[in-house]
Amino acid sequence: MGQLIAAPVPSQSFRPQSLILGLAILGLLVLVAYPMLWLILGALGVPADFTLDNFERAFTRTQNYAALANTLYLGLGTGLLSMVFGVPLAWAVARSDMPGRQIIHLLVALSYITPPYLTALAYIILLGPDAGLTNRLLRDVFGFSSGPLNIFSMNGVIFVIGIHVFAFTYFLTHSALKSIDKSLEESAQMLGAKRWQTTLRINLPLVAPAITGGVLLSVIDSLASFGPQAIIGMPAQIVFLPTRIYATISSYPPRWGEASALSLVLVAMTIIGLGLQRFFLERRSYVTIGGKGVRSQTIRLGGWRWALLGFCALVVAMSAVAPIGVLTLTAFSKDWIAPLSLSNLTLAHFGSALFSDQMAARGIYNSFRLAAGAAFVAMAVGAAIAYLDLRTTLRGRIFLDYLAMLPLGLPGTVMAVGVLLAFIRQPIAVYGTIWILLIAYSARFIPLATRSVSATLRQIDASLEEAGRITGASWLQSMRRILVPMARPGLLVAFLLVFIPAFSELSATILLYTGGTETIAIAIYRLNDLGQIEVVCALAVFTIAVVLVLSALVHFLSRDRTLPSEGVG
Amino acid sequence: MAFIDIDGIGKRFGAFQALADISLAIEAHEFVTFLGPSGCGKTTMLRTLAGFITPDTGTIAVDGSVLSQPGVALPPEQRQMGMVFQNYAIWPHMSVFENVAFGLRIARLPDAEVNARVARVLEAVGLEGLERRHPGQLSGGQQQRVALARSLVVEPKILLLDEPLSNLDAKLRERMRVELKTLQRRTGITFIYVTHDQAEAMALSDRIVVFNKGRMQQQGCPRDIYERPANLFVADFMGLVNRVSGQWAGPSQVRIGAHMLDVTSAATTRIGAVTVAIRPEALLLVTGPAEGRNLIDGTVRESVFLGNIVDLRVDIGGAELHVQADRWCTLATGDPVRLTVEPAECVAMRNE
Repeated sequence: MGQLIAAPVPSQSFRPQSLILGLAILGLLVLVAYPMLWLILGALGVPADFTLDNFERAFTRTQNYAALANTLYLGLGTGLLSMVFGVPLAWAVARSDMPGRQIIHLLVALSYITPPYLTALAYIILLGPDAGLTNRLLRDVFGFSSGPLNIFSMNGVIFVIGIHVFAFTYFLTHSALKSIDKSLEESAQMLGAKRWQTTLRINLPLVAPAITGGVLLSVIDSLASFGPQAIIGMPAQIVFLPTRIYATISSYPPRWGEASALSLVLVAMTIIGLGLQRFFLERRSYVTIGGKGVRSQTIRLGGWRWALLGFCALVVAMSAVAPIGVLTLTAFSKDWIAPLSLSNLTLAHFGSALFSDQMAARGIYNSFRLAAGAAFVAMAVGAAIAYLDLRTTLRGRIFLDYLAMLPLGLPGTVMAVGVLLAFIRQPIAVYGTIWILLIAYSARFIPLATRSVSATLRQIDASLEEAGRITGASWLQSMRRILVPMARPGLLVAFLLVFIPAFSELSATILLYTGGTETIAIAIYRLNDLGQIEVVCALAVFTIAVVLVLSALVHFLSRDRTLPSEGVG
Repeated sequence: MAFIDIDGIGKRFGAFQALADISLAIEAHEFVTFLGPSGCGKTTMLRTLAGFITPDTGTIAVDGSVLSQPGVALPPEQRQMGMVFQNYAIWPHMSVFENVAFGLRIARLPDAEVNARVARVLEAVGLEGLERRHPGQLSGGQQQRVALARSLVVEPKILLLDEPLSNLDAKLRERMRVELKTLQRRTGITFIYVTHDQAEAMALSDRIVVFNKGRMQQQGCPRDIYERPANLFVADFMGLVNRVSGQWAGPSQVRIGAHMLDVTSAATTRIGAVTVAIRPEALLLVTGPAEGRNLIDGTVRESVFLGNIVDLRVDIGGAELHVQADRWCTLATGDPVRLTVEPAECVAMRNE
């Protein structure tokens, strides 16, 4: 060896990389790990105490015990409803020649993106025991003296949540049915199987894991569904775990420890559900033979297709058409009790909702800026975590990835309890400001952003960045000029995927808002309590419109996501 | 001291030893090929040279300055190398011009110079007129040229090529092979080329370095590697070879069944079991009077007409040999045959 020049110092260009990714890791830890730590500490009575009493109370106090039992009952009910509605609709749309399949599909999607607390409000208007439109109609026609239907009941809660969560079963079963190649059925038919035998012995076993997975997702979502549980359950004095947690914290003085312990019970239920769901969906791998290019057999039903259409139409009428219809009508009516007529039409409620009502206008403003802020934070942190996972060999990156997915298993109420406990005290005491909502939303929806960016990054080969580096670009330059421009549509989708649920978030907000930081969901909730139904409906229609437009944009962007690079190499 | 000095490089990914003790000196203007099966370490070595991988042990120095050492690696962008990737890695959001101009723009060269240099390099690779195209509108061969142009325009001292031809169809691959070789001669840039295709390696390289399981097996000019493989792996990897088991019977004699073969060998201990590697084309049919060394009698087991040659399988008692006869050979199954082979073509090596 000849003379060697001294070894190079670690290059300058590695610093921005460490700084940016380091900040993202710090963000993730503060947003997700720190509140979860406090949730556990809180349940143990820290800082005042160190005890397991809270857990004992969670199971023995009558109200808590009742909430636990009700929640389980609710899960069973919505799971059943989800299967009864989801499976026939999925089969009809995926495999039959029923007319109007596209419309049914779109309406299921519509019921999925409508925030469930708005559906609950709609059903109070439709099925309220005294003034409910349907009840008045039934009384007029059949001469009942009161009722006859009452949404303020256990069955009412199950129904309202069920017509929202059945979409999970529908979508999973639909895609499973679509992914069964025709040849699998044709082989059975060649061996002499009849149509119904094929359906029963080939199709059903193939999609059974998807059905089970969908039903479990429905159940999990129901457990956490604070909106309907509160809006319908509270007046009926039926308590569920999330509303019980809410009551425990809203009581004076707030019982943090008990709320934390109850939260952990709810988390345990969710995790068991998610574990089962993963177990069932993983068995699905033998069904899916690539998404596209699969030819599926359409089944001719003859006259039966009209009967099937009747059923499907009834389900989507209940889940989407009726609730959104009645909210819209009420929003435009001078008096929602009065019959529909031109003279009863008005835009005044939108005027109040958007401009004159202080809380509503503030709520809209806050929701927009919070959703945008949270979407940006979640996208940035999610992008960095996805990048670390897919592009680096950092030790512990798997752990970070899990941490970024963790909030997916946490009901909004639980997340809120953790965030509340963590950020009500030093060193980051932001309770009472809008920042705590930003933190809660970012934390709750980081998984959506991380998953979305991760899917985008998987489509972009690492060699594209490496080619930039070897051609002389620093890490930062290759990010700015190569990766980010290529990932832009995917990043926008990630942004929107967080913005949409954050915009109408209720379950965490209800525990964390204070005077001045009301959001649109809080305005709806509070004004409903005050009986201002028309303004509430105007806000609801506005919310649904925003969510709908953005969801359509996501759909459009995701479909159009094929980069020009595809087909290269 | 050599232009590129690779000294004792090792790299481990978890339990997997990707590279072990690689030492290699590469001269300026040389065309060196890293050859081996997938997972042999050749690409890891190339990426370590590029600075994408930091070695666990050893150093890499170029022109006397250390670029990589354990735990520390000069980042790729400061190495003044170029790299052509297997999938070309053409940026789909940029036009051909923008792709090629990228490195010059990063170096903040004035527009006039950027335009002139891009035009020159595009002409050199035969892409003039396609500046405004987007990658999606290019054929595989054209994308390959864009990748080359993009690497060459910054005038690197070293060009790294990672299986650049493997995604092209056979015909185009042959043409690009010739163009690459011409380009290398004309520019004088040191090429380091990775491939698993031994024919490609032989056609292109001044020197071949054979890798297997993270270790360097042999290095040398194509002829050396082909004719005097250092071990059975190299012999096998470089092309069709007869591997015949025998016993050492003298300082340069191996007994195979009833036959005694004069061999060449690099082995030091010449006792016990040994394997002799003989290329099928080195075995000649003897038609005239039997004389000279290394005569082998056998029987034709199978004869397959392949057009340019006739492929024979000959049973020599205790072993079977592939023989490539010319296309006029009319031997049929069962015919007796007599073969001869130069001792230099019989390479005896340790069993593995």
